[in-house]
Amino acid sequence: MNAPFFKFGLFGDDVSLIAAFVIGIGFGFFLERAGFGSAKKLCAQFYFTDLAVFKVMFTAIITAMVGLFWLSWLGFVDLSLVYVTPTYIVPQVVGGLILGVGFVVGGYCPGTSCVAAATGKLDAFVYLGGIIVGIFVFGELFPILSAFYESTPMGVVTIPQYFGISYGLVVFLVVLMAIGGFAGGAWVEKKFASTVKES
Amino acid sequence: MKLSIGNWTLNRKLALLIGGLGFLAIFAGSPYKGFTSKVDSQELAAIVQKEVDHVSPEELAGWIISGKADYRLVDLRKEAVFAEYHIPTAENILLPSISEGGLSRGEKVILYSDGGIHSAQAWFLLKANGYKGVYILRGGLEEWKDKVLFPRLAENAPPAEVAAFEKVKLVSTFFGGSPQVGGAAALTAPTMALPKLDAPAGGPVKAGTGKKKKEGC
Repeated sequence: MNAPFFKFGLFGDDVSLIAAFVIGIGFGFFLERAGFGSAKKLCAQFYFTDLAVFKVMFTAIITAMVGLFWLSWLGFVDLSLVYVTPTYIVPQVVGGLILGVGFVVGGYCPGTSCVAAATGKLDAFVYLGGIIVGIFVFGELFPILSAFYESTPMGVVTIPQYFGISYGLVVFLVVLMAIGGFAGGAWVEKKFASTVKES
Repeated sequence: MKLSIGNWTLNRKLALLIGGLGFLAIFAGSPYKGFTSKVDSQELAAIVQKEVDHVSPEELAGWIISGKADYRLVDLRKEAVFAEYHIPTAENILLPSISEGGLSRGEKVILYSDGGIHSAQAWFLLKANGYKGVYILRGGLEEWKDKVLFPRLAENAPPAEVAAFEKVKLVSTFFGGSPQVGGAAALTAPTMALPKLDAPAGGPVKAGTGKKKKEGC
């Protein structure tokens, strides 16, 4: 039995929606248990007092990356069937900046705002309202924005392909980056905990 | 200070584990090669038997007119004949380079050649390499010409067929073809020249024309 199960036709659209629902609930549950339903906790990372978000997300990235690499190497996953988003470099950099600014100002990212709304946080409902208005405005302006939206296309490309280096080396470098980040993060937390007094 | 892993915190052990797996990854080679596909001859035979791997020229024509973009149309013929004429939206990939042609295994791929033999061979190659959505244009370019570019209406056709032919005519002119009415004599008519590629057939499908044709259909 090989993954991805959906692409190999092990189940159809209806079951895939149920699977997505279960995974989504699980994702939300663990975000909430990690404390990510609180804007205070999330924003603390921008003041370097609590880098839990950075650590959790980077842990998820390297776990998934190393897992996919070795499962594919062993023949359990066909990596060529895993969907890779096409790259549009400039629009995606701009989009990332907008998301980052929104994260600092609003205190949530889209996913965590849903988590916080699920526990009844008022600010999260305001944030969700903002998301819906933003989606509407973007949709209405799309004819004007579409030229930019589709500019600088690079197609479906991965880092090993683009730089012509081996897949395994990229895995190792990202793991190194993560472990360095965790050690550095712990140091930064200690340093800033003494300078910033939080309530 | 003793360096015994037993005294390490869980975080450190996990970091060591992931670091080790990451380090070994350098020497493991490409993960894409780990996947080997087995040819399920029974399954392939069943697909061939049921003809679910076929796309008819009329279906394809409908997709192109409505601007569907969820498929890759692959022309397997030589470059020279491809430059002369090809079905709109097609890309030219020759049989020897079909596996390196930039097709991905999850895509819907429609193959065609002059008749059906080359596309059938390419179909098997791709299927054996684990490509999932591979289809053959039924009858290849020959049938595309017969059914879409130069459809024929018999002189003494019943009224129902004549009415249906109106729609076929619209599709045919959309692709720059010319519908034929009459017997075999018309086969050699000069009107049956293949459409030039800068004719409507070669250009991108414009939303306006697409809509008009949809109404016609």
